[in-house]
Amino acid sequence: MEGEIAAVITNYKFIGAGLAVGVGMIGPGIGIGMIGSGALNALSRNPEARGPIATNMILAIAFAEALGIYALIIGVILALVA
Amino acid sequence: MSLSKSLVYGFGVAVLILFVVGFIVGAIGSKFTPNEPFLDKPEVHLAPQLIYDPFLSETHLNTDRDTQSKENETHGDSAKKEHHGLPNHFVITNTLISSWIATLLLIILLVIGARGGRSDREPTGLYNIIEAIISTMYGFVEGVAGENARKFFPLFATIFFFVLVNAWLGLIPIFQSLSTWDTPGAFFRTEGHVTGHLLRPAGTDLNMPLALAIVSFFFVEFWGIKTLGFGYFSKFFRFGALLKGKIFEGIVDLFVGLLELLSEFIRLVSFTFRLFGNMTAGEILLLITSFLIPFAFSLPFYGLELLVGVIQALIFSALTLVFVTMAIEPHGGEDH
Repeated sequence: MEGEIAAVITNYKFIGAGLAVGVGMIGPGIGIGMIGSGALNALSRNPEARGPIATNMILAIAFAEALGIYALIIGVILALVA
Repeated sequence: MSLSKSLVYGFGVAVLILFVVGFIVGAIGSKFTPNEPFLDKPEVHLAPQLIYDPFLSETHLNTDRDTQSKENETHGDSAKKEHHGLPNHFVITNTLISSWIATLLLIILLVIGARGGRSDREPTGLYNIIEAIISTMYGFVEGVAGENARKFFPLFATIFFFVLVNAWLGLIPIFQSLSTWDTPGAFFRTEGHVTGHLLRPAGTDLNMPLALAIVSFFFVEFWGIKTLGFGYFSKFFRFGALLKGKIFEGIVDLFVGLLELLSEFIRLVSFTFRLFGNMTAGEILLLITSFLIPFAFSLPFYGLELLVGVIQALIFSALTLVFVTMAIEPHGGEDH
């Protein structure tokens, strides 16, 4: 009986890990898309400002990506440690 | 001309051959062959592993843990043991050794580089590179901090180089392949079981980003108090409007100050997990790609990780710089 409960908990753990990563990546995905579209808009209006736009775009993408990586870490901790 | 062209073709053919061989040997190709897979499944370690325990004065032999983890077959159990396996006194872990290597490397590089800059000689190559990097960074700091650039630059550059070298160390091919074995003193495969990596990049240990975040937090508060004196705390405890008798504005101000105080501490968490997450995710990514299709498929991801190292180093140091600059600005909370 206890073994069954443990097995069920283990299974739900993996569902939780998958959900954490999958749902958690939605927001950063939208964010990175918006950053990229904004950068392309800025580039097409002002092509000579390519350098600073690209640098700031990569910085902003790294911030949005960090949120997704939080979700990934939670998923890894759920699947491996918890 | 033709030589370089044939070089390029040769390189392309080599990568293609590696790709095909890797596909057959790797996880996907192994499924089509009836025999055992060619590769072991990759194991992800979150916690750092113990290398040397100075209080036991012997190399750590976790043979009992190894046999235990073989008995229970699930991955989760062995990972759990490893998580609770570290003793609670000071021990030397693989990430700690790696960060020492990074520190040594930085000191040696910068000392040798600075030697080339004597005024009685022509500057050498290494000195030129270091000067170019440093002057670019100094320009960046000047753009953010203005006249205080000289004061903040050492902190900025230290964090930048430390994070960068630690991130790039993990990309050296042999770095993560060195292992500890349960026969004492054997770091290469002679006999016995693998008990862990000898070296792992320090960013994949939660403690290194946390320590850096505490350093950054300390300097933000230190410079804020040093520049503004007691007035620095008026940013957090805003009783100004309340004392003037404006009840509603006073309560809102109080709340804003509390939020400001809270965000100082939330910064610690976000600093820590941003760096830790990026480094760990990079390590896992390289592990998975070199498991799926070995040799060639992980090459583009190594390029990505080079970029991630620079970006994370820049983000950590630049955010510290921005927070320090914000902390020393006098704020007109009492005016409105």
